[in-house]
Amino acid sequence: MTIAVLLKQVPDTTAKIAVSGGRVDQLSVSKWSTSPYDEYALEYALKLKEAGAGNLVAITCGPQRASKMLTDAAAVGADSMLHILADTSEMDSEQIQSILAAAIRHCEAEIVLCGKQAADTNSGSTGPGVASRIGAACVGMVSEVEVEGGSFSALRASSSGNERVSVSKPCLFTFDKAATELRRPNVKGIMMAKRKVIETVSPQDLGVEIGDSKVNIESQNSPPEKPPGQKFEGAESVPIVVLKLREEANVI
Amino acid sequence: MPYEALDFYDVDSLLTEEERMVRDMVRDFVDNDVLPKIEHACRDGVFPDEWRVTLGEMGVLGAPLKGYGCPGLSYTAYGVICRELERGDSGLRSFASVQGSLAMYPIWDFGSEEQKNYYLPKMTSGEWVGCFGLTEPDYGSNPGDMITKAEDKGDHFLINGAKMWITNGTIAQVAVVWAKLDGVIRGFIVEKGDEGFSAPEMKGKHSLKASVTSELVFQDCKIPKDRILPGVKGLRGPFSCLNNARFGISWGAIGAAQACFNSAREYSLSRIQFEHPIASYQLIQNKLSWMLREITKAQLLAYHLSQKKDSGEWIPEHISLAKMNNVDIALEIARVARDIHGANGILDEYPVMRHMANLESVKTYEGTHDIHNLILGRHITGIQAFTRGIN
Repeated sequence: MTIAVLLKQVPDTTAKIAVSGGRVDQLSVSKWSTSPYDEYALEYALKLKEAGAGNLVAITCGPQRASKMLTDAAAVGADSMLHILADTSEMDSEQIQSILAAAIRHCEAEIVLCGKQAADTNSGSTGPGVASRIGAACVGMVSEVEVEGGSFSALRASSSGNERVSVSKPCLFTFDKAATELRRPNVKGIMMAKRKVIETVSPQDLGVEIGDSKVNIESQNSPPEKPPGQKFEGAESVPIVVLKLREEANVI
Repeated sequence: MPYEALDFYDVDSLLTEEERMVRDMVRDFVDNDVLPKIEHACRDGVFPDEWRVTLGEMGVLGAPLKGYGCPGLSYTAYGVICRELERGDSGLRSFASVQGSLAMYPIWDFGSEEQKNYYLPKMTSGEWVGCFGLTEPDYGSNPGDMITKAEDKGDHFLINGAKMWITNGTIAQVAVVWAKLDGVIRGFIVEKGDEGFSAPEMKGKHSLKASVTSELVFQDCKIPKDRILPGVKGLRGPFSCLNNARFGISWGAIGAAQACFNSAREYSLSRIQFEHPIASYQLIQNKLSWMLREITKAQLLAYHLSQKKDSGEWIPEHISLAKMNNVDIALEIARVARDIHGANGILDEYPVMRHMANLESVKTYEGTHDIHNLILGRHITGIQAFTRGIN
């Protein structure tokens, strides 16, 4: 059996994002990283693999630089890597989903893990969209997955309580932040990763006709600057501070 | 804010992908496991044992050694590991230097097959800690006149003497000890618990506080005959080890300097005096640009040296120059950074005074700054100036 984890490379959450001409200037991004929710998906995919659920393939769709994520995934234990080389910057969700669904079929994966949303677009459509295309049960916003006999048990946490969901394959889980430590590679893993070859294909190689994007991003712009902080001095300002904390900041 | 290493000439782009992955791994360890604990470790004067465990798990101990379960990385990767560790603390890097270059290396290069198979896997995994006994209370820069001696008693060796300033000594299971056997310097493996061997910790250091420094005391210490290192005689043994450790230090010092530079830059941008950030004043900019200049030169020196080390085209004097220069500028950068931080620079809220105090040791150990000058002086003139007859 094959487990697939879908990884997306996004600007690091600490990287400064420059906008020029109504578009995010990708060349100005100083550091690209694996989308944080995808990292939890990878961690649990590795746990499933270690529990004997199957081999793990790490999949990404994106430009050349995205291959670093796959090598990093191999260093922590992914068995194989598939890179669909494509410029995804102007693709819509449906196009991406159709490519990823074809990639999963190509790898014959029956269990798929991914982040609940990407840190850059935050659209949250990839998981459910891919699940519907491959005919898999989709369990969203999970924070834990484990093998349970022939099925998979996932924990969905919310502020009102926890829900445990059991599904059989084919299935897809989208990950929320999980209460687990992300593993660090070690030298042996890094040296093994060097020996593993990334399978690089185009959408056409997978038999996907991506067509035209149905979505046109009209413009992107930076968020408005935060208003400056307010400073209060002396005991007489306490009532004002309390009022502001209650009514403006909504923290008390 | 995540750590952004100063790399003005993008020297790290010359690293292989594997070396960069190793760098990122160690950097992550320092950010998440070391920096949150380092000041406490220094206050308490301890080397946190979990760092030993994690260094073993990451697989970086004895980085450039091949076989016997060792990592088999390049010397460049070893340098990068030292740099990233010392960005955290020189004591942490010292632990790794001693384990890999001073304790594992002599066993790997001069040990018997049995010794290699027995010790190296336990040491690369971090399960066993090693130390290196060369320096004595009365013989530092002049180890050739050491007093510690070994006697062949037929079915065992008997060692008598004392070593001082031994990093990891008290926590080590294995000590590689250099002693004179019939007047010739030989390497011996002494284990914790051997009869007549003790390793009391030296207290009261103002430097390398998160590192264990010890004395090694041998009073009729009895060890089996198979604990002698068969492959080397004379000072070449300990000096081969020191070459590797000094090489790592030439990279490590850059890490400490980068940490001080970052702290000074950040502090000067946020510290307001006379209505403006002090970074806007020429005296501060002059200091910062001098730091950048020296760090960049040190990076190029270390990188080029590591290429020579990996290709085998190096001489010990190359390493002397890099160790001496890079530690020297790192210490000066730490001092100037302390200056930029004003009174705040003496607090452990900032890393600069800790690095500064650490680097005073780093400047002194593994060949003092002056001794490296004399090594270069001998190389230039052909005349040794370590000693002369005084009548």
